[in-house]
Amino acid sequence: MTVLSILVQVLCGLTAVLAVYYTVRDLSADLVLLGGCAAVLLIWLVQAVALGLRDLGGTAMTDPVTLYGYLFTGLVLPLGGAWAGVWERSRWGSLAIGAVALTLMVLELRVQQIWPGGFA
Amino acid sequence: MSATTPTSSTAPSRGARGFEAVLVIIYGLFALSATARSLVQILRGFDEAPVAYSLSLVAALTYIAVTVLLVRRGRRSSAVFALVMVELAGVLAVGTLSITVPSLFPDATVWSTYGIGYGFVPLVLPVVALGYLLLSRRGSGPGDAGDSPGPPAAPAP
Repeated sequence: MTVLSILVQVLCGLTAVLAVYYTVRDLSADLVLLGGCAAVLLIWLVQAVALGLRDLGGTAMTDPVTLYGYLFTGLVLPLGGAWAGVWERSRWGSLAIGAVALTLMVLELRVQQIWPGGFA
Repeated sequence: MSATTPTSSTAPSRGARGFEAVLVIIYGLFALSATARSLVQILRGFDEAPVAYSLSLVAALTYIAVTVLLVRRGRRSSAVFALVMVELAGVLAVGTLSITVPSLFPDATVWSTYGIGYGFVPLVLPVVALGYLLLSRRGSGPGDAGDSPGPPAAPAP
């Protein structure tokens, strides 16, 4: 899970930096930034499935409701970011994607705290 | 940079929201997370901290209302303005209460200690939103349609 977690952070970080660059340069989201958003959604989905399978496999959960709540939020957020990036054809659509990516980085830290035994 | 087509209709056309789109995303995020949090708190044990959990629900409903109104009516809606004022008052009141009367808050809410659990975003968000709403009311605010360098995503109806 450590690898997945690092991947989530790296992809979110790259997307956030790219989004800030787009915002500063007054660029609307193009396929590169939307692709970053999609990559973030994909890696989050992989993580959600992986954690769900481990849950089914019998890992003792301390707070499954919150964990699944976070995992679900992490799936909805990139969709919202993509919506803003597609419909808001200005720098602000890009900034919305950046805000989503940053939020997911924080969310990922919380997921690691909740997941029993950590990600070692 | 100047907006050539001020939106006179109740809702701005697609692609002309500007900074409003960022607000919609962030308010939507808080609507989602605050609602989930308050529902979990209330369903798990409302009696543990009735005041705190009720205020959690109030916060969640406020975020939902602002999100929906921003999407449907846009930044010039006075209802949005009033609700963001309520939100700011709520953050300040709950934040102060949670520090002065901690016995009311055995468990944290979104607005406890001015939203410290959420990086103080709950405190900053209404201030930024109010500033933006006030600027847009004066005329063409920042991030208006004229800021957009690209073509609109959808052809105007």
